Amino acid sequence: MGGKRAAKNKQPPAAADGAAVVCLPADCRLAVQMALKEQLQQVLQHGDIVIDAQALERVDTAALQLLVLLRRELEHNGGALAWRGTNEVLHEAAALLGLEQSLNLPTATSA
Amino acid sequence: MGAVDLTQFHKTFFEESLEGLDAMEAALLALDSGSTDHELVHTIFRAAHSIKGGAATFGFAEVAAFTHVAESLLEEVRSERRGVDGELIDLLLRSVDCLRAMLDHTSHGLPAADADSEALRGELVRLVSGEAAPAPAAATPAAASVDGWAIRFVALPHLLQTGNDPLRLFRELQQLGQLDVCRAFVVDAAPTQLAELDPGQCWLGWELRLHGAVARADVAAVFDWVEGDCELTIEPIAAASVAPVAPVAVAPTLVAPPVAAPAAPVASPAPASAPRPVRETAAASSEGSSIRVGIDKVDALINMMGELVITQSMLSDIGEHFHLSQLERLREGLLQLERNTRELQESVMRIRMLPIGSVFNRFPRLVRDLERKLGKQVKLELHGEHTELDKTVLEKIGDPLVHLVRNAIDHGLESPEQRRAAGKNETGTLRLDAYHEGGNIVVQISDDGAGLNRAAIVAKAEQRGLIRPGQEVDDAEVAELIFQPGFSTAAQATDLSGRGVGMDVVRRNVRDLGGSVGVRSQSGKGSVFTIALPLTLAIIDGLVTAVGEERYIVPLISIVESLRLRPEMVRKIAGGGEVFHFRNEYLPIMRLHRAFGCNAAITEIERGIVVVVEEEGRRVGLLVDDLLGQQQAVVKSLEAHYQRVQGISGATILSDGSVALIVDVCGVVRLGQRGKAAA
Repeated sequence: MGGKRAAKNKQPPAAADGAAVVCLPADCRLAVQMALKEQLQQVLQHGDIVIDAQALERVDTAALQLLVLLRRELEHNGGALAWRGTNEVLHEAAALLGLEQSLNLPTATSA
Repeated sequence: MGAVDLTQFHKTFFEESLEGLDAMEAALLALDSGSTDHELVHTIFRAAHSIKGGAATFGFAEVAAFTHVAESLLEEVRSERRGVDGELIDLLLRSVDCLRAMLDHTSHGLPAADADSEALRGELVRLVSGEAAPAPAAATPAAASVDGWAIRFVALPHLLQTGNDPLRLFRELQQLGQLDVCRAFVVDAAPTQLAELDPGQCWLGWELRLHGAVARADVAAVFDWVEGDCELTIEPIAAASVAPVAPVAVAPTLVAPPVAAPAAPVASPAPASAPRPVRETAAASSEGSSIRVGIDKVDALINMMGELVITQSMLSDIGEHFHLSQLERLREGLLQLERNTRELQESVMRIRMLPIGSVFNRFPRLVRDLERKLGKQVKLELHGEHTELDKTVLEKIGDPLVHLVRNAIDHGLESPEQRRAAGKNETGTLRLDAYHEGGNIVVQISDDGAGLNRAAIVAKAEQRGLIRPGQEVDDAEVAELIFQPGFSTAAQATDLSGRGVGMDVVRRNVRDLGGSVGVRSQSGKGSVFTIALPLTLAIIDGLVTAVGEERYIVPLISIVESLRLRPEMVRKIAGGGEVFHFRNEYLPIMRLHRAFGCNAAITEIERGIVVVVEEEGRRVGLLVDDLLGQQQAVVKSLEAHYQRVQGISGATILSDGSVALIVDVCGVVRLGQRGKAAA
């Protein structure tokens, strides 16, 4: 629930170290990718981005691809992608698609 | 996902799977008889494939695992990496039998796999892996030794917009075997900036390895829906390269639990059956059977209904403002109504009619097995497979037919040596015919074998006291003898015939269906068994008779003749019985009013009418008051509404709305005999 609201937030909350935090909505599939992309674009200039996947319940290839491309661009610009609150759904999907490294996911399912 | 109740589809799955197995069997037999039609292999493969798919969908893991291995073997045949020989066909036929048993068990909620099926599966696995890879360890044939597939899958940008998601494809792959993602990459053409990205487009590609005894077709089937939406290559992994494979880009510890587990159904021998997700199967299978109806028959019904509605509205229109001048129109309308009703009845009846081919289809297999067992050569000819029969009749005629076919091969047809000695072709011919004749369906089983062994039959009959020693018997009587209970001339009981089930059971089964069975035989030339069956059990042709105030219907098929007796024709015999002279024999008279306890009936024989009926080779005369006419009777079960009554097979409703009972001739004859014995 909170994730959904967060996805619509215009002003992203900032993490303690100043990195922008983006929360993934519960249903983070193709239909919301355009909105998610716009949100990510807004925070792209912040430098580092922290993705909060705590609320994530459903995810698809489109979402993971977007995050992979986000990380690629971030690192190209000298930024970094970090995670906060990853969960089983995210790990399972990323593992299946072989994208865990590309997404810089932490290697254990810890919140 | 879990919200859909799959149990509702179980019955369809079982029905379709059994049909698929039938098709498989037929195609295997065709291959066995030397056909080289490649389409046959495809048919077999498709059947196995859809059974596997269905079984996996419904969680019948054992069936899926078994079919899976069979399918792998078939895939090798299909891709012409393996030749077809008798041994392979034998193995596949046994697999068909095994799958039938497994489906049967599953449909009754029992564990599908047993020792036999596991042994057979082991055989299949060994055959598949034995040639695909030089199996290094015999102890673990399934898992480690078999190779897998290297898959390169690059999505085209529009892939996601077709509703497909690689995530789901990969999940399906996981079901087939152990899936390793070696490399996931972003294609070069992908936009480098988020701003240019359309999130609905896919710019990813993968290199995958799927390990396990998986058919290429299975792998390809996963990608069926994305054909044209991706670049796809599937190549076998060379056996040597299997060992050092390590997932390159994936951290194995993390993915181990979800990825490794689904490989189990394929790799492990699964006697400790996985927990069945559905338990209601037993209850579901007890539902009434269903019938598949051709759409043309349904359309005919709808047409007929339309006509009926038009007629009805016309009649009600006349009824609204009726004037005597419209009498002619009324008559016309009623005539039309009658015609519509009759046509509707015929159409409805046709729904229950199925081609006899479904029963005939089991014979090629049976004949093949018997040939091998008995060392005989048989050519089977099937004719009239499209002849349609009532579903109930069809279901019950199977066993008697199997019995007759077995008999024909076991007793009728001679061994090749004997045939050669008799100057015949070494290969015997067995012919099955089905056709319409009058209001009946006739099924004939003819062979060109030795014919009935007259001497053996007569000797046996004398031994059993059925005829007196030295008694003259003509051919028809000899033929009749083999239908006597417990009559079997087989010198030694084979496991085919001589199980204590004889021709009498065949006759009884056919009788129960309202039919008759007879045999014509010519020594040295062969025998012809002829079964005549009614088109339907739901309607009989009957003669309406009056007995006192009651009406009884005598099935037309049993009636020989009706006559009025003169007093001098009737003899009283010791014990109070009455007989009359009819065509060189004395027949007992059954007074129906006495048998059924009817009041106010005619008791003087010369004033009533005697209906001569024949059943099981015995004739009796039924005394009734009068004959009222012939009528088709829709049979209503007495048992369903009341209880079973000796001598009555059912009831029907006459045109005036009164109820008439249908005489069970067989039962009445027996009743008469018991009365005679008691007297």
